[in-house]
Amino acid sequence: MRVPVEWLKQFVPVQASAEEIATRLTMGGLEVEGLETAEEVYHRALREGCSEEVAHAAAALAPVLDVYVTPNRGDCNSVIGVAREVAALYNLPLTLPHIPPSVEGDEAARQTSVQIEDLHACPRYAARLVRDVRIAPSPVWMQARLLATGQRPINNVVDVTNYVMLEMGQPLHAFDLDRLEEGRIVVRRARTGEVLRTLDGVARTLAPDMLIIADARRPVAVAGVMGGADSEVDEVTRNILLEAAHFDPRVVRRTARDLGLRTEASYRFERVVDPNGVRRAADRACALFVEIGLPLAVPGVVDVYPNPMRERTVRVRVSRAAQLLGMEISCTTAMECLQRLGLTAAPDGNDSLQVTVPTFRPDITLEEDLIEEIGRVHGYENIPETLPIGATTQGGDSAEGRFLTTLRQHLVQCGLQEVTTHSLTPPFPFDPPEDVTRRVMVRNALSAEISVLRRSLLPGLLDVAHHNVKHGVTAMGLFEIGRVWQNEGEAGEVVPAEHLAVGGLVVGAFWPSGWQKEGAPPVADFGTARGIVERLCAGLGIPELKCLPPDAQPGSLPQFHPGRTAWIFLGDAGPAGVVGEVHPRVSAEMRLRDRVYVFELRVDALQNAIPPEGPRYLPLSPFPSVVRDLAPRIPEEVPYAEVDAAVRAAEAPHLEHFYLTDLYRGHPLPEGLKSLTLRFTFRSTERTLSDADVNDALSRIRTSLETRCRATFVA
Amino acid sequence: MADTIDQMVRDAEAAMEAARTTADLNAVETRYLGRNKGLNELRRSIGTLPPEERPAFGARLNAAVAALTEKLAARRAELEARELQERLAVERVDVTLPGRPMPVGRLHPLTQTADQIKRVLIGMGYEFVDGPELEDYAYNFAALNYPEDHPAMDEQNSFFVTDTRLLRTQTTALQGRVMAHRRPPFRIATIGRCFRYEAVDATHHHTFHQVDVFMVDRGIGMSDLKGTLGAFARALFGHDTQVRFRPDFFPFVEPGVDYAIAWKGRWLELGGAGLIHPSILRAYGIDTEQYSGFAFGLGVERIHMIQTGVNDLRLYLENDLRFLRQFGHFI
Repeated sequence: MRVPVEWLKQFVPVQASAEEIATRLTMGGLEVEGLETAEEVYHRALREGCSEEVAHAAAALAPVLDVYVTPNRGDCNSVIGVAREVAALYNLPLTLPHIPPSVEGDEAARQTSVQIEDLHACPRYAARLVRDVRIAPSPVWMQARLLATGQRPINNVVDVTNYVMLEMGQPLHAFDLDRLEEGRIVVRRARTGEVLRTLDGVARTLAPDMLIIADARRPVAVAGVMGGADSEVDEVTRNILLEAAHFDPRVVRRTARDLGLRTEASYRFERVVDPNGVRRAADRACALFVEIGLPLAVPGVVDVYPNPMRERTVRVRVSRAAQLLGMEISCTTAMECLQRLGLTAAPDGNDSLQVTVPTFRPDITLEEDLIEEIGRVHGYENIPETLPIGATTQGGDSAEGRFLTTLRQHLVQCGLQEVTTHSLTPPFPFDPPEDVTRRVMVRNALSAEISVLRRSLLPGLLDVAHHNVKHGVTAMGLFEIGRVWQNEGEAGEVVPAEHLAVGGLVVGAFWPSGWQKEGAPPVADFGTARGIVERLCAGLGIPELKCLPPDAQPGSLPQFHPGRTAWIFLGDAGPAGVVGEVHPRVSAEMRLRDRVYVFELRVDALQNAIPPEGPRYLPLSPFPSVVRDLAPRIPEEVPYAEVDAAVRAAEAPHLEHFYLTDLYRGHPLPEGLKSLTLRFTFRSTERTLSDADVNDALSRIRTSLETRCRATFVA
Repeated sequence: MADTIDQMVRDAEAAMEAARTTADLNAVETRYLGRNKGLNELRRSIGTLPPEERPAFGARLNAAVAALTEKLAARRAELEARELQERLAVERVDVTLPGRPMPVGRLHPLTQTADQIKRVLIGMGYEFVDGPELEDYAYNFAALNYPEDHPAMDEQNSFFVTDTRLLRTQTTALQGRVMAHRRPPFRIATIGRCFRYEAVDATHHHTFHQVDVFMVDRGIGMSDLKGTLGAFARALFGHDTQVRFRPDFFPFVEPGVDYAIAWKGRWLELGGAGLIHPSILRAYGIDTEQYSGFAFGLGVERIHMIQTGVNDLRLYLENDLRFLRQFGHFI
């Protein structure tokens, strides 16, 4: 809302500078977002196409306050509304314009009629008639005030309606009376198929739930939003019907939204206009018509208002105000604060005030609302700082938060950089075709770029890799923890499920070798990605991790290299995630030249794989361990998982742990064979193991490898 | 025979003196003191002596062995010290060369800031609770006192995926979820991602992160809110930080304020706050005559921007490593 300071001063004798008023209003709850200088107003007026004279007159009203009005304060969408706040904050009197009141009925009622079919949507409609008008430009002072507040002058009649709207907050509309069929008004819902050409020249098809103003035959305005072009006041207009009405805010809001048409009128009606100010606004317009040389209105007003809104009474306890505000407040101070706002407050017992709330303040319904008014007029700067006194509460992070902190620690320790990428993404072109219906889509997406809720963290990680490669980084290790979504509904139904995922990406020599080449880690490969997953599981105390090739599980992974990808299993549940090389087609699409390795796991799968009982102490053996190697040669096609399973199946006594220390192919091995070196550590908790003990254990392992993996051993 | 001992001792001493390395010395030791060698070889010839001479010869031999052993140890110590000295001299490296690079893992700056916020609030007795990012309309708006079709929602343009589910526009959506099954007193906080339909520029984004804090207890007033915000802001921004209230409107608080902190001579608006609206408390069966509470919210990005001088919101989701690597420090 633009408020010229000179117009404000018409209603409140404020002496302070515009800057000071702006600060006071802002600190009182009406945020002044800007101050327009005379020069700025002058140039804006010229840009609007007005004359030098009008531009000068508009500039003379400056500075102009640009006030942001919160949605609960519809009463401040007018110069008088803002003046009332200024009066309250500065404790100054508010002087309202003198308006000669009209008489209900009279000649006007003989010449026209108003019929309201939906009193909920339109609780009040007042019409006044003015005959023999001569349409001309309005006087310079009026055009100047309109321009200063951002309204373009049109003609004397329309300018008066806009002027009253700006001054009092009540939108008005003037119809060309002679173009209204039977010269009367019907307020009703639109009928299916009805079309109205609005003032902006657009023919709009109306829907049956929209409230319209009609004459005897057809719609002539969208109620509270915009008038129709056919009944517009123009240079040939002789007689007018002036509308002042009250419409239900939600009805106006829905209609405006459905038509995609937001106007100064709909903006105000959505934020509630005072129903009891309707006739006063019509009368004010008629007084202004006379003031600018138009004829006196036809005596009387047609005012349909069967259920007048009564003023509300709200009680406030001063002691409660003091407690909720946390500052000392006397009964007198509280009463004075409320009265300054135009509320009527009277003592009711020694702690309470009985407050009558005018209908222009529909936002005040509760004791707490009055307490806020007392507080802000008294000044929030008077509130001291205290800390809550009360029961001790146990603070702490959530279980999820604690788990994610641990997860992050492990991944950071692997040398990965945490990233946070978009949840709203474009459709990922490499989603498995059977999963396209699993996407959760934004219904009202304005752009494909933010139309899908991510199903996976991988596209985001690839984006980050792409961005950084573009900026010259060739090696990196990244991870992200975030929510992903999947549609679990069948047959077109949308049942979105949300879960947390952890994903990582490695590319290039993300462990840089520096100048010391010897012993340096190689460029990231499948083993790097898998090693990070293993490291994570080990760190979390997950006892079992299995990686199996893609065909071990239904579901395709077209975004991955088919030969360098594995489902990750943690225990007996279904797959917990995937680790592998990004398919060369995907890398090419993302313009990544190096091989990219990624992993992604469900966080709940990790959590569920941790033994719930927590760690238990096992006594440490005082006896020495024995370390032995075995070097089975096995056929190329036998995967290591089977070797691992064969060793475990042997149930060799005293086997503490074992691991693979070498994998060899080539001369002198025959084609189709690979040689593994496995290192076993044996230890007993009861005694020092003998050679016989260890040989027995090893021979069991050998036998198991021979039978299960077709292993051979060189003597 | 005795002369032979003397001769052998003299030879051994000369050989020790001549030894240049511990390896040489070991050879000397073997030659003169080894099993059946040198002096020990002489010991075997003891049987050829007349019995009366044997004790004296044995004694002399033992004394010679003992003396030689002692001298050998001394000489060994000397040589070892010298050899160590030489080895250390040879092994010298250029310590001014860079070390083997270790990859540095870092948390995203928003995680670092969230952790910092958590530490402060947990210290003040707040319990963190997580809510879904894809939220029910009921919790995001209706439970927070937003009337249907109200202009207050204009500032919260939402991403809907069904009629009733949307990406939360504010972490405040958690309040209803918590109050539905908690009795006061409680102090709750949450941090998470929020979404609003906004054109993206340096200060606006459709995706951002928010902290929401709320508590209910007996006798809570605006001064408790101001004090708590003061303590919170001083923990984040330094001990002389001031807090200022300005009336503002949010449907879920009454009175509602916008709060700002004084930072390097300017007032910076941080977020919205107020006393939890009595209609909300009553909707969850909390007696507003007994209990009241406050709530405040703020942006995680905003805090980090103030602390570090970042001036473009978009950097947080862009993940340029040159940006991320600037924030690996303890905060």
